[in-house]
Amino acid sequence: MEYFLGSVKLMLIVYALAAVISMLAAWVIKLIFAGIRRQRAAEGPATASSQPAGATPEKSS
Amino acid sequence: MPEIDILYIFQGIATLVASDPTIMVGRIVLILLGVAFVYLGAKGILDPLIMIPMGMGMSSVNAAVLYLSPTNMGTIFLNPMTSEPTQLLDILQINFLQPIYTFTFSNGLIACLVFMGIGVITDIGYMMISPMRSMFIALCAELGTLLTFPIAVAMGFTYREAAAVAMVGSADGPMVLFTSLILAKDLFVPITIVAYLYLSLTYAGYPYLIRFLISKKLRGIAMDPKQIPSFTKAEKMIFAVVINTLLCLLLPVAAPLFMSFFLGIVIRESGITPFIDFIAGPVLYGATFFLGLMLGVLCEAATILNPKVVLLLVLGITALLISGIGGIIGGYIVYWTSGGKYNPVIGIAGISCIPTTAKVAQKEARGANKFAVILPWAMGASICGVITSAIIAAIYVTLLRGTP
Repeated sequence: MEYFLGSVKLMLIVYALAAVISMLAAWVIKLIFAGIRRQRAAEGPATASSQPAGATPEKSS
Repeated sequence: MPEIDILYIFQGIATLVASDPTIMVGRIVLILLGVAFVYLGAKGILDPLIMIPMGMGMSSVNAAVLYLSPTNMGTIFLNPMTSEPTQLLDILQINFLQPIYTFTFSNGLIACLVFMGIGVITDIGYMMISPMRSMFIALCAELGTLLTFPIAVAMGFTYREAAAVAMVGSADGPMVLFTSLILAKDLFVPITIVAYLYLSLTYAGYPYLIRFLISKKLRGIAMDPKQIPSFTKAEKMIFAVVINTLLCLLLPVAAPLFMSFFLGIVIRESGITPFIDFIAGPVLYGATFFLGLMLGVLCEAATILNPKVVLLLVLGITALLISGIGGIIGGYIVYWTSGGKYNPVIGIAGISCIPTTAKVAQKEARGANKFAVILPWAMGASICGVITSAIIAAIYVTLLRGTP
């Protein structure tokens, strides 16, 4: 029983850590995105070099 | 003329007759299963890229058992259990697939090569549409990866084995391979085979789960294409490099996977066509081919006939089912918090079987509303799924590597 309860505790710790790290990564992306938008606003309208999110991939994992 | 023993000439049959009945039946079943995999792969019911080489390997290795010495049976394909250096050097010169196994499979290189290939065909721009929402959905879609862990422990698995089998819930083949090689070396063959077998079935199973849990009206919600921002290639490279460095810094144990995936993305965005063609072609398809072949060859009856295999089959499907439900719950939460503007079907794409689950989501949305385009958002959730899977794998490995 103790072994099983230990696994439940471990699961919660793993989920909490994963949530913190994942959200940190997402927050860093937002931060960079905000920086880029600010820089673009300072430099004027985006140039023709900008490119939308690309094509559909073909291969699965 | 020497005395001729017919069974000595046809050693595949001789070893079959001389085997323990369980092994004999196991070999026959695995030969037939291998043939079935090739057939189902060729028909497109299972993923042909994995199942055709896997089926060929499985049927061949179980047919080709011979006498290595008067008392010892085996094959000249490979021996996965050898690790002693002198013995390994001898075996490397005899078993024709041993070099590929030793130098690409048992050290996780093949998983990294597949990851690099996935990186090259992945546009990180999708992830930047809505990173927080995509990451939240990906976390919800890891529910199976988490909940299967205590379930497996309750069924009698050790923490290390339970973590390895729970990774099936991430629906990410290379990740399952990487984790089970480190945490459960004795079970990595059946765990990886169960994972790939079920992953081939996800494409067929998840649409039913979506239709069961999400009404047609909600499945048909169209997303606003104006939400899709545009980025230059240089900006995408900056994103990839920063996130890769951050994740490697936090979780060095999964750095080979992170680096491979983000290196693929950076190469894609760098526009170096020879590299892109090389990684998206020979590297990705070569690694996938040898991964399938190795998995098949590792399905030798003596290796795979483990009493835990039935439990692994139950746990694998449980993990994928819970992850699917978790992803859809995540999709519903974002749908409610966005005021009904988010298609909850995107939740299924949080499962990191990239891009299969994203394509499933798009197909289901299109089935409910022919004008609904959700693929960019679904791809974003899928990319986040790859990242969260790698994070969870790294945490499991870091915490459990030193435990018995």
